[in-house]
Amino acid sequence: MSTYDVELKDIVKVFESGGARVRAVDRVSVEIEDGEFFALLGPSGCGKTTTLRLIAGFEQPTSGHILIRGRAMEGIPAYHRPVNTVFQDYALFPHLTVEQNIMFGLQMEGVDKKEARKRALEALEQVRLPGVGERMPHHLSGGQQQRVALARALVKQPAVLLLDEPLGALDLKLRKNMQFELKALQRDVGITFIYVTHDQEEAITMADRIAVMNEGLMLQVGTPKEIYEHPQTHFVADFIGETNFIPGALLQRGGDGFGQVKLADGTVIRAQLSHALDSAAKAVTVAVRPERIGIAAPSDRPAQEIDGLTALDAVLAGSQYIGTDTRYTLALGDEIELVARLQNVNNIDSAAFQAGQRVKVYWDESSTTVLDQ
Amino acid sequence: MTRRIRRLQQNGFFLAMPTIAWLFIFFVLPLLIVLVVSFMSRGRGGVAIMPLTLQHYERTFGVFFIILRRSIGLAGLTTIICLLVGYPLAFFISTRRRRLVQQITLFLVILPFWTNFLIRTYAWRILLGEQGTINGLLLSLGMINEPLSMLNTQFAVLVGLVYGFLPFLVLPIFASVERFNFRYVDAAQDLGANDARAFLRVVLPLTMPGVLAGCALVFIPSVGAFVTPDLLGGTKGLMIGNLINKQFGGSGNMPLGSALSIVMMAVVMLSLLIYVMAHRRERGA
Repeated sequence: MSTYDVELKDIVKVFESGGARVRAVDRVSVEIEDGEFFALLGPSGCGKTTTLRLIAGFEQPTSGHILIRGRAMEGIPAYHRPVNTVFQDYALFPHLTVEQNIMFGLQMEGVDKKEARKRALEALEQVRLPGVGERMPHHLSGGQQQRVALARALVKQPAVLLLDEPLGALDLKLRKNMQFELKALQRDVGITFIYVTHDQEEAITMADRIAVMNEGLMLQVGTPKEIYEHPQTHFVADFIGETNFIPGALLQRGGDGFGQVKLADGTVIRAQLSHALDSAAKAVTVAVRPERIGIAAPSDRPAQEIDGLTALDAVLAGSQYIGTDTRYTLALGDEIELVARLQNVNNIDSAAFQAGQRVKVYWDESSTTVLDQ
Repeated sequence: MTRRIRRLQQNGFFLAMPTIAWLFIFFVLPLLIVLVVSFMSRGRGGVAIMPLTLQHYERTFGVFFIILRRSIGLAGLTTIICLLVGYPLAFFISTRRRRLVQQITLFLVILPFWTNFLIRTYAWRILLGEQGTINGLLLSLGMINEPLSMLNTQFAVLVGLVYGFLPFLVLPIFASVERFNFRYVDAAQDLGANDARAFLRVVLPLTMPGVLAGCALVFIPSVGAFVTPDLLGGTKGLMIGNLINKQFGGSGNMPLGSALSIVMMAVVMLSLLIYVMAHRRERGA
């Protein structure tokens, strides 16, 4: 007996359109645990929605296996799978009332009308939208329709709830509120959520684990912290948050997961190696998040003496005040440009550094990742 | 600007005057004449004379009732057969992924319109006749020993009507299914509906406007058809359209023809009323 709710084993999905074969999903394997909030994150066309549709049973994989609660899903049609979907455009039946929409799935199970109505009303309470049962879906706002779609899926008490960019059509403020609510709801009902989104912030704030996809490949799976702080590929580092990419040459690999990288200006720094780094790679990229970079006056010597700290000479090229932070552009020699973000804390004067001034930039070695170029 | 629009709206009645006049002279007035004539007596040569009488209505619901009933029955059956054949066909056409296949099949549905309706109906005489194509084929294959008598039967009329009116049903349903968002089928299946239930609970109700429009477009002209029963039905397949047609001929009976027309119109109006009510319920639900 498997402890996983959903297992994808080497899933490939090929679409043929006009003679061209497109690998929408390419050798994807992942295990999703019971009760997990799992996000599939990637740009449009990366294969995340196709992956969801494969789990739901709307598409059949070209090869590979899907297991839900340990049961192989080959040949099992969508209507017999223990999963339910919240569609991107909600797909509420326009000819049925809200209540009838929610009752639909229960009636398909053979639940009698009275019981189905009772559970539909409970589901509406659960998504905090009581009293709209008699209304038609198109009389509700987008946010309300979204809740009805959620109630319609949850009322079936599925093993897994699949959500296809459910907040995509909502405005920013509503989306933020719904993020919290969805997360709270998921904790309450304890159902595994698989959540497709292209919004990295949404994935980071809501998910227990994130899988980043691009061009059909699942590039990295990990907790939001792992994904953000230790992206394993260039694409992941670039797609999530802002990152400095510093080109360099890998001189030496240490046994401790760190290596020596020679930068364009000749300085050699120590940086953490990505697990996905090609074993033969020589030309590499060092990734550092802007908020991990500190700036100090050149006279601040102690920085260099702290173990595990990288400190380099730089020239401050410019600064930009952006409210909570100030964003500094820094030049390391002629070749490298870095961005650093410093929080505007009231006892530090952001005007302390002037454009053109020589400064010291420093970061912790463990804040870096060496990636394939 | 808005004031000008408002004034235009107020003047809408005057803009519509030519149409209203046209409709009054060529539609309302003749209809009133038919209505009045239907209550008059038959004179020499079939013309209408005084005094007023109800006898034509008595005959319509008396000796001619069998023909009225047959017309409604045949038209109803035509509609049902067209629906059973036409819905799947329309569904097939509108769900083709390849644009070319869709255009070709749609073209084939419309193609018969390029030939005169009369000629197409005559063609059915050749197909269905005793020495016709179908009998000839069946005889030569040894499937029958003597020719089937298909021509001049109600069956022949039914074949002719279904053939003639099928496109009128296919096209509105095609438009309906074309507009249908198949995400709803995904949603229905996701919620546990198999193919049949997804169709009955979601696809059919949401394409109902097209179905109703198509049924009205087939049923209404079928009830009053007279070319098809005239050429294919003989005496056994006589419909109310033929009967009315005869009353305005040489030895006809104009008042009787008028009464038959009024009753036929009432039948059509009634079916239209049912259509409108069904449609309103669809939309209001």
